Amino acid sequence: MIELKQVTKRYGQATVLKNITLSIDEPGIYCLLGRNGAGKTTLLKSIAGYQNITSGTIQVNSKTITTSTLDTGVSYIENFAKHFNLPVRKLLQIASEVNPNYDHDFASEMMERFELDGKKKFNHLSLGMKTMVSTIICLASNKDVVLLDEPVLGFDAIMRVEFYDMLTESFYKHPRIIIVSTHIIEEIAKTIQKLIIIDKGSIRFFDTLQSVETKAFSISGIKKDVEAATRNLNIIGQDNVGGLETCYIFDNLPKQTASLEINPLSLQDFFIQMVGHKGGVKR
Amino acid sequence: MTSIFAIVKRLLASNKVSFILTALVMLCATSSGDIVLSNGNYSWLLAVVTPFFFVFYDFTKLMHLGANKKDYFFGCLISYGFLAFFISLVNTVIHQLIDPVYSAQTVINMMDVCKWTENGIIVAGLQQMFFLLLVMVFFHVLLSMQAHWYGWLTDAVFTAIICIFTPIAPLRAILSGFFHTIMFNNNAVLHIGICLLLSGAFSIGGLVILKRKTL
Repeated sequence: MIELKQVTKRYGQATVLKNITLSIDEPGIYCLLGRNGAGKTTLLKSIAGYQNITSGTIQVNSKTITTSTLDTGVSYIENFAKHFNLPVRKLLQIASEVNPNYDHDFASEMMERFELDGKKKFNHLSLGMKTMVSTIICLASNKDVVLLDEPVLGFDAIMRVEFYDMLTESFYKHPRIIIVSTHIIEEIAKTIQKLIIIDKGSIRFFDTLQSVETKAFSISGIKKDVEAATRNLNIIGQDNVGGLETCYIFDNLPKQTASLEINPLSLQDFFIQMVGHKGGVKR
Repeated sequence: MTSIFAIVKRLLASNKVSFILTALVMLCATSSGDIVLSNGNYSWLLAVVTPFFFVFYDFTKLMHLGANKKDYFFGCLISYGFLAFFISLVNTVIHQLIDPVYSAQTVINMMDVCKWTENGIIVAGLQQMFFLLLVMVFFHVLLSMQAHWYGWLTDAVFTAIICIFTPIAPLRAILSGFFHTIMFNNNAVLHIGICLLLSGAFSIGGLVILKRKTL
């Protein structure tokens, strides 16, 4: 269980995390979405105890997490993580030795599935392969909380599909909290259970994917009809193109009328409406 | 415990550059004249170079492999203990077997300079071991601090102490007394006790710094 209470993180004058309160109780695969600089990495690093927060508390399984926590029970991997320049097989072997809960069979299986050359040294691998090695080590750690920071960076389409399968398999083998931060939204939708959207250091959305599917819609039509239909609804964005008004809502579906065109929002569109800004002005 | 020893194994294995550098210096160092330096002295170089690798090279990589800070801390201490024993053994063997070969010359070995051999070779080896342990732990802590403001402050304080204490006679006596206690000391019990005490104190300091260490 992860519990964040009024977490704020400042770097000098810049506030990167703003008073975040969040509770993740159940095992599951959670997707952390946010624009560049939204605070995703800072949030994940803070949960992992890689850095201290300015104020608030972070607890993982009732244990307060700071850099002072010598054993956090959290496994975090960032893209471009540095490893010893050793053959991949040796690297996975060392990971199993330094971590008593490590699932060596899973790691070996994944190494074969992704056709990683066990004899090849880490520094000789491509960016995608390096990221894959880091991800395998992180998932095989079997820690209670696994945090993957942009794990599909440098992956080709086939590797990404394989990665999502690996994520699902790893979760069903050992259910735990897995948080994945990514920019490739639609692809991960089939894999995840819950969505966390962070924007400018604040949590904008934390709910299930089903809620997005059942509550996120675009309503288009003549301005007065759209306004009438969306009155008292939770509007997350608006557009006006050529006199046609479009309202994006996250609420119960309004009554369909002939003058309105109502469409469900894709995950990507929903995300854009939640955090989308044009020229610094919120849409 | 298994994970700590796995870390010890990894720390020592990734310390090859230090081993090679020390071995090269030991093999290549030459001196001429009636008074020559024992090549065994250069084995101490390993104690100075090793903490650089443990602090700046190994820590992040071990964390990325899933190790935790507690295991890293104990792993480092055990590795320093092992290396202190190993270096001391090498220098003691050289002092006993190779230094006497230069019979026509006076061979200076630090074990003699520090007056440890006055207590017999085994005790001298032990004194050397605990002194080297202190050196490694001290360097480890000093290097760990370099990423923080207090590391730079410590550097400045040490520099100031040396600069101020050396030219002023009464202060120089204090500095000299300190080095006589931790290094040039023929009282084995006192020497080993002081080295262990300071190593323990520095280790606690190192743990405090490790707890603040970010990634």
